[in-house]
Amino acid sequence: MTLSRRNVLAGASALAASTALPMAARANDPLGVGFVLIGPVGDFGWSTMHDVGRRRMEEVLGDAVTTTQVEAVAPPDFDRVVTTLARAGTRLIFTTSFSYFQPTLRMAEQFPDVMFENATGTATRDNLAIYNARFYEGRYIQGVIAALKSQTKQIGYVAAFPVPEVIHAINTVMRGAWSVDPEMRIRVVWANAWFNPGVEADAARALIDQGCDVLCQHTDSPAPLQLAEERGIHGFGQASDMTRFAPNAHLTSSINNWGDYYAARAQAMIDGTWAPADTWGGLDSGMFQLAPFTNLDPEQASHAERVVAGLRDGSIDPFAGPIVNQAGEEVIAEGESLDDDAIRSMNYFYQGIDVSMPG
Amino acid sequence: MRLTLDRRDGAGMAGLFLSPLLAVALTLASSIVVFWLLGQDPWRALNVYFLMPVSDFWGVQEVAVKATPLVLIAVGLALCFRSNNWNIGAEGQFLIGAICGGGIAVWTQGWGGPWVLPLMLVAGMAGGALYALIPAVLKTRLRVNEILVSLMLVYVAELLLDWLVRGPWRDPFGFNMPQTITFAPEATLPLLFDGGRMNLGTVITLVVVVVATVVMARTLKGFEIKLVGEAPRAARFAGFDDKKLTLTVFAVSGALAGLAGVMEAAGTVRQLLPGFSPGYGFTAIIVAFLGRLNPVGCLIAGVFIAITFIGGENAQIILRLPRDMTLVFQGMLLFYILACDTLILYRPRLVPRRAPA
Amino acid sequence: MTLAEAIFLTVITASTPLLLAAIGELVVERSGVLNLGVEGMMIMGAASGVAVAIVTGSSVLGVVAAIGAGMAMAALFALLTLGLATNQVAAGLSLTIFGLGLSGVVGAPFVGMQRAGIAKIEVPFLSELPLIGPILFRQDPFVYGSVALVAGVAWFLWRTKAGLVLRACGENPVSAHALGYPVLRIRFAAVLFGGACAGLAGAYLSLVLTPFWTAGMTAGRGWIALAIVVFASWLPWRAMLGAYLFGGLIILQLHAQTAGVRVPSQLLAALPYLLTIVALTVIMALRRGGGQVAPQALGRPFVPDR
Repeated sequence: MTLSRRNVLAGASALAASTALPMAARANDPLGVGFVLIGPVGDFGWSTMHDVGRRRMEEVLGDAVTTTQVEAVAPPDFDRVVTTLARAGTRLIFTTSFSYFQPTLRMAEQFPDVMFENATGTATRDNLAIYNARFYEGRYIQGVIAALKSQTKQIGYVAAFPVPEVIHAINTVMRGAWSVDPEMRIRVVWANAWFNPGVEADAARALIDQGCDVLCQHTDSPAPLQLAEERGIHGFGQASDMTRFAPNAHLTSSINNWGDYYAARAQAMIDGTWAPADTWGGLDSGMFQLAPFTNLDPEQASHAERVVAGLRDGSIDPFAGPIVNQAGEEVIAEGESLDDDAIRSMNYFYQGIDVSMPG
Repeated sequence: MRLTLDRRDGAGMAGLFLSPLLAVALTLASSIVVFWLLGQDPWRALNVYFLMPVSDFWGVQEVAVKATPLVLIAVGLALCFRSNNWNIGAEGQFLIGAICGGGIAVWTQGWGGPWVLPLMLVAGMAGGALYALIPAVLKTRLRVNEILVSLMLVYVAELLLDWLVRGPWRDPFGFNMPQTITFAPEATLPLLFDGGRMNLGTVITLVVVVVATVVMARTLKGFEIKLVGEAPRAARFAGFDDKKLTLTVFAVSGALAGLAGVMEAAGTVRQLLPGFSPGYGFTAIIVAFLGRLNPVGCLIAGVFIAITFIGGENAQIILRLPRDMTLVFQGMLLFYILACDTLILYRPRLVPRRAPA
Repeated sequence: MTLAEAIFLTVITASTPLLLAAIGELVVERSGVLNLGVEGMMIMGAASGVAVAIVTGSSVLGVVAAIGAGMAMAALFALLTLGLATNQVAAGLSLTIFGLGLSGVVGAPFVGMQRAGIAKIEVPFLSELPLIGPILFRQDPFVYGSVALVAGVAWFLWRTKAGLVLRACGENPVSAHALGYPVLRIRFAAVLFGGACAGLAGAYLSLVLTPFWTAGMTAGRGWIALAIVVFASWLPWRAMLGAYLFGGLIILQLHAQTAGVRVPSQLLAALPYLLTIVALTVIMALRRGGGQVAPQALGRPFVPDR
């Protein structure tokens, strides 16, 4: 028996045809949409918000879709989960983590009739689209507001892992903060977890004890924001509107809002207009939203609103040159701006950020 | 009334057969109730859980893919547990095996040959064995408890993997995401059949099961392991060196866990990335005990556990049950099996209260 | 509050759930039972605690429910390992799987709900003292409770006859049985106590430390509690030392990060685990030859002959 790719593909499609479960074939059947989640749906962060998006899509499209969701799928299980989804008649599969990007490429090749969408992926193919939101725009606004609120001129950042998404977010927070006050500084703690409330809280305590009086968080739980409330400082919510967790500390939240995107993509499948795309939606796309500003005085609020407007109309570009890295090298010159791939793969801190690059 | 257990005279053959049958019957009965309560069609649910995973050749291969690391680790752990060595850190040894083997795949990228894969397997085994020897040496030299050391080293291994894939071994063309390159063909285990993921690792695991069975049943070493576990004093009188044995079983179980790790990296995942293991090293502890610390038992138990994991995924996909429900169901299954195991050794009886002690 | 005071405070709060779970498991293991299901019992405590607290509006009822949930899980474990003499390691691990799943089911309706944490107790005047004031006299009830538990367990195990009998069950159940002690009933009580402590530790997480529910929020603390029992050589006060040492190392590595130490964060994060190994090794090396070992009958099922 040979092991050529052609045979593997032939085998896979033969299997798909022979399976006991019917493939969704007829046109008026509801569209089967699958979601593969990296965490448990109850993480109250990244995976919860994808679940919220899925339910929003069901709401919008009603009987036209049926959805399936598999939680906490580890990399070795990914291929099997996707194959089972495909065999159960799922035609559109959202894989919601970068950890799934390589395996999604592989499965997209194996199932040419199934359309895939990978969140935070970096390349497309015939039946693979990628999508993400420009969360860094929210980070820029957080930086601006933090600089307006801070007395100690120190921002604390509870970070999960040093991935480009987090690194460019830290850089952007400081870009925003420096636009108000060039003396702003930042301290970062890596929690080495996307959600571990206890450690997030301890990290927040450490940052506050070191003199930070505005907390940004790049982890899922409301623990850092609650700590900010308890200690009488300020903070931002992550993934959903966390105002209720910290009525006196909350400034704004970045809300992940995938529902409209999911609904639009599923509708495109139904209409037969689905095409692979690289969607990286900013504030204007609605893929992420800001919770209403709280605990800002009118002057601070209007400053923040001006920044929001500037980001929306493009007059503020968080990645405009000149950008100088920690080593003092100019990454991009004045008058130019980083392209999307450079933002996506960012692995350096800007000059003036006194944080060492882990790993 | 209260429950008492009477020891059976000898291993009752009736119990040996009755136990699994009763476990199955109880499981079926209570799953029907549970699924019915959840508003599911019980027969359909049972079908999804237990039959769908093995309903075709692709499914059988997937069970093999899932069971292979569990069985391989469990066989090694069984040797440890039999001789009263509490290696709880197989997960760490698994990761170190993947790191050592995967490191060779990363290092030889672009200039490797057919020698890469054997080298990876050897490196994975060596890495796992050396990592397992840390708790073993501390135990034999300084009587440091191996449960603590082996467990703590799991977290260290996870963090080491995390650092490697974010730093030195990061894929240079991977947008700086935390992962290595996808391994080259000469660094991946060959698949056995078209249209499935079963690879050479399953064959290697079966060979290990056979070898371990022979060693345990027919060799002096096997006798020594059993004797040290069951009658340590007698073993000492017989002149067996229990410290040397501790080192041996830790090294062997570490090597097998490491082999499982490198085969998972080279066979199934084909790259290293954080969250690479869904906790195989911990699950394998259950597999080892369900298999009654016997290699063939581990094989059967590993396949069974693999089916329940895949059944849980299927339940999420077909029945739209949340994952937590599948975990509850899996826990319940394990309870039944453990409880029914008792029947092999004991005869339970309900006796009136205040029975003479 | 000075930085040192703040760090001590944080260390104590971070260590308390570990200590609570560890002191319970210590008693369980002293009676000869190895329950590896601490994580499962703890997370059931966390989920039930927050669920009941939100539904009833009472944190006290939440804590009671958490203790009850931990005990119910422990009773399940006891039914298997004591009633049916099944393998304790496998039963404990199965209990963890079961608890992780069931807690998700229990907690699902409460994801994203908010509840005010339990307030700290401030002792008047004394809490104003420098350094020791905030650390000793401005804590939440759980912290005081955990210290009281340690003292109580130490007193019980070494100063009471019942404690002696419990330890005898862990060292030599056959002799204890021959002397007429109900080994299984004593072990059952110990296992229930362990479950109650684990449930309480869970409640501390979901009602005090981070007052809300998310899936898997115990994040492996049950496993660390097990390691602390071993580190403590099954001695209560040493368990307190172990819990504070481990919690302290975690907090110090976070502070090292905020201070911008130029070391990979993964290495800093690994230090608590590595240093715990080193500490135990040093302890064992210093007391070469002697030293406390595990209860002799730990992990072995006991079935009374009649």
